[in-house]
Amino acid sequence: MKKFFVIALLAILGFYLTIAFLQIPFGQNRLGQPQDEATVGAYYLNNTKEKSAVSNVVTAIVVNYRGFDTLGEVTVLFLASTGLASILYRRKEEEVERINKPSSSLLQTGSKFLFPLVVLLGIYVFIHGHLTPGGGFQGGAIIATGFLLMLIAYQKYHVSHSMLTWVESLAGVLFVSIGLWGLITGGTFLENSYFPKGVLNSLISGGAIPIIYIAVGFKVAAELTGVLDILLNTKEEKSVPSNQNEK
Amino acid sequence: MMEYLKYIGQGLIVFGSLFLFLGALGIFRMPDFYNRLQAGTKASTLGAMSLILGVGFIQPEWMIKSLIIVVFIAVANPLSSHALGRSAYKNNLKPFMKKKMDAYEKVAEILPKEEDRL
Amino acid sequence: MIYVYTGAIVLLAMLLVYVALYAIRQKDLLYAVIATGVVSLILSIVFLMLQAPDVALTEAAIGIALTTIAFVITIRNTARYENDNAQSGFNNKKE
Repeated sequence: MKKFFVIALLAILGFYLTIAFLQIPFGQNRLGQPQDEATVGAYYLNNTKEKSAVSNVVTAIVVNYRGFDTLGEVTVLFLASTGLASILYRRKEEEVERINKPSSSLLQTGSKFLFPLVVLLGIYVFIHGHLTPGGGFQGGAIIATGFLLMLIAYQKYHVSHSMLTWVESLAGVLFVSIGLWGLITGGTFLENSYFPKGVLNSLISGGAIPIIYIAVGFKVAAELTGVLDILLNTKEEKSVPSNQNEK
Repeated sequence: MMEYLKYIGQGLIVFGSLFLFLGALGIFRMPDFYNRLQAGTKASTLGAMSLILGVGFIQPEWMIKSLIIVVFIAVANPLSSHALGRSAYKNNLKPFMKKKMDAYEKVAEILPKEEDRL
Repeated sequence: MIYVYTGAIVLLAMLLVYVALYAIRQKDLLYAVIATGVVSLILSIVFLMLQAPDVALTEAAIGIALTTIAFVITIRNTARYENDNAQSGFNNKKE
């Protein structure tokens, strides 16, 4: 009875989805030429240079035209990191020992040399997010990889969780407050018209777009570093019962 | 002078991709983990470094960035292969010792006997 | 040149499907995790061939390094081999 009900529900849903997808003309040129203004993509490609003054159209779409969805994505990442921390993080009083064995001195010296270079690459990627391919999420992931290198090579390297919490919270507050500033002065949330627009293709251009991406970069880096630190500090549980022992 | 820099850069790119291909071929053909590690690290590092240096020669304003990347690759690749080899040794992975490579021994009974054919 | 790109993309897509099927059928979970990393690598190259460098950079930074490391740490904390006799509450099997 239950199976019949589920199959009927899926059939109705599939029927309406098929009708909806048949309206889309597959195989036609939906991007449009830059001459005609009919499609959304052509509008973005033609008007990004004058109105947003950035040279990377993807960044302009992610931060300026669809900036609210980026705020939602940052919220999803924040929720994931908080959920993991609420399950696994324990504020221990004694010294936390990590699960990996001590590594050789060659690896330790090399990691100490490579760590500033990796962080430099990450900061470069998210500061130049409006000029080159890249942006906040990519730069934050690269910085987290640099911290992971240090966490694996040294057994006693600690990242203080209070500093990570402060950086993450302040970056999130900066993002929302830029949106509220746009609401107060312009009329819509995250409006980009009351920041100095600068020269095209230079570092200071595009209004609030570099500032938002810098905030997103710091936030993502702090979250991913916190997640990796929590995962590495978890001790191996011997109390997980395997099903073969129960028989 | 500018054209010579471009030709040097293109030559370095071809040289680098040839060594990258040889490194991949070596990983494919070597019989043991330690041999594969050596082939992969040495050939790949040289190939990647000369590739990036060639790009730096073709566009001279990117030369400083290319040098920093070359230094990074030259430090990071041998470090990672050192970590891999060390962990393989700690987990009791024995190297492949071939006693005698005698391919003739397998087909000796199939071939006809060697005798004087006067 | 368009034909070369299409052929290369089709070849890489077939390789991706093969590696993904290999990752599904493995019993040793560490092998499956490395195969997932290889799938992310091939996907990042295909994104670059389809002229989307932002997405390729994101997939390379997150899919290859971070998810592989997170899965390896999880495997270290739980179990290395896949358990065929694992009971799940959904089937309500009582053995």
